[in-house]
Amino acid sequence: MNPHAKLISSMSLIMGTSITISSNHWILAWTGLEINTLAIIPLISKSHHPRAIEAAVKYFLTQSTASALILFSSMSNAWSTGQWDITQLNHPTSCLLLTMAIAIKLGLVPFHFWFPEVLQGSSLTTALLLSTLMKLPPITLLLLTSQSLNPTLLTFLAISSALVGGWMGLNQTQTRKILAFSSISHLGWMIAIIAYNPQLTILTFALYTMMTTAVFLSLAQIKVLKLSTMLISWTKTPMLNATMMLTLLSLAGLPPLTGFMPKWLIIQELTKQEMTPTATIISMLSLLGLFFYLRLAYHSTITLPPNSSNHMKLWRTNKALSTLTAILTATSTSLLPLSPLIITMF
Amino acid sequence: MTYFVIFLGICFMLGVLAVASNPSPYYGVVGLVLASVVSCGWLMSLGVSFVSLALFMIYLGGMLVVFVYSVSLAADPYPEAWGNWRVVGYGLGFVLVVCVGVVLGGFVDFWKVGVSTVDSGGASLVRLDFGGVAVFYSWGVGLFLVAGWGLLLVLFVVLELVRGLSRGAIRAV
Repeated sequence: MNPHAKLISSMSLIMGTSITISSNHWILAWTGLEINTLAIIPLISKSHHPRAIEAAVKYFLTQSTASALILFSSMSNAWSTGQWDITQLNHPTSCLLLTMAIAIKLGLVPFHFWFPEVLQGSSLTTALLLSTLMKLPPITLLLLTSQSLNPTLLTFLAISSALVGGWMGLNQTQTRKILAFSSISHLGWMIAIIAYNPQLTILTFALYTMMTTAVFLSLAQIKVLKLSTMLISWTKTPMLNATMMLTLLSLAGLPPLTGFMPKWLIIQELTKQEMTPTATIISMLSLLGLFFYLRLAYHSTITLPPNSSNHMKLWRTNKALSTLTAILTATSTSLLPLSPLIITMF
Repeated sequence: MTYFVIFLGICFMLGVLAVASNPSPYYGVVGLVLASVVSCGWLMSLGVSFVSLALFMIYLGGMLVVFVYSVSLAADPYPEAWGNWRVVGYGLGFVLVVCVGVVLGGFVDFWKVGVSTVDSGGASLVRLDFGGVAVFYSWGVGLFLVAGWGLLLVLFVVLELVRGLSRGAIRAV
């Protein structure tokens, strides 16, 4: 892609995200969201493949609809209460509209249909941006208004997202779509707790960003786009495949890895709020996700049977692994013993 | 005056209905023109005349004209107008949605029909939209720069998307 266009797009992404997360006024928040949407469109369509163009169009249409709904919700609140403060969203219709708009923005069920296809149409790095950076502004808006929103609706969105994210991911062979459904399911966990303890939502989002960045960067290093490619990728970077297994299991939420921490704390908080059925259902539903994470981990570490054990690592090596991938992999597998410290940080 | 404003509101709904019933773009743009002209009148009834003029010029005179030129490049051989059963079906569906909305929301409470002007009938010294423009260039210059960058970004994004003729994202017609 043209370096100047790439620079403008990435600078605008950072600018749009910073504007939305630091704003107190709805119009400024909306402006940041629109700048984000516009700036990532060339990044999604940069390969000029028809699937990439379709992904860019789908992304633009859904995000614009959601932005229009956010604007409508803030304006009806401003009409009835006379102020545009994000934290003072009081009109009930505005709260409902905003919840639906943020659900569309994030890709929560039942507005998740665009997300796997958009991720499949983009490159692995752009898919990483879509799953992590583009989720930050909408979650910030939801955190700022979380006290005014309907908890029953949020719980419904959360449980159905965990259900669909786990269930739909079972039949996927493309790694980007698997990670899309993993993102939907993790967002469900984040939304489940937002009405009761928003700090846990921030914690879950931060840890999810860390783990999924580690997975995306590892996949981008070995250029694995589907399961069959992952089967034979162990010869290129055996160490990376071994650590990717641990990172994937951490995403699945298995103790003693880091990914268990958010799930554990969320279940504890839900139980304290007398929401034991919700806690039970949502943890059972993440078992569905565990199956496809295990399948990915298995494919990552398998050494293919027709090859003998003498079939060693390929002698033509890739360039050295980036430090960032190493740091993120290390943190996403080993932070669980530091949970008391991490809880105090959020 | 109230009846005229209610008439403007009804015409706005009809114009939006004309667009939402999915005819061919040639015919849909008629609905857009009607909706934007009528909403300019409705904005004036609210008291914000500058915004109404800006809407007229930029939306109707700028964007809609460009839209009509773009649509004329991609014409249907058999365009679907409002006599087509599919379009009629969509139209009736949206009429039903509007009726449900009016019944549930109430004409005045939710749809704000028959309310007074934005500055409560002349309570402030300056018209609110003119004052807003003044603030936009003085105290609100940060938002001005951000909005300007957003518009410039649209230009760069569109240029990047169509760069490369037939290798670009949008096929050269």
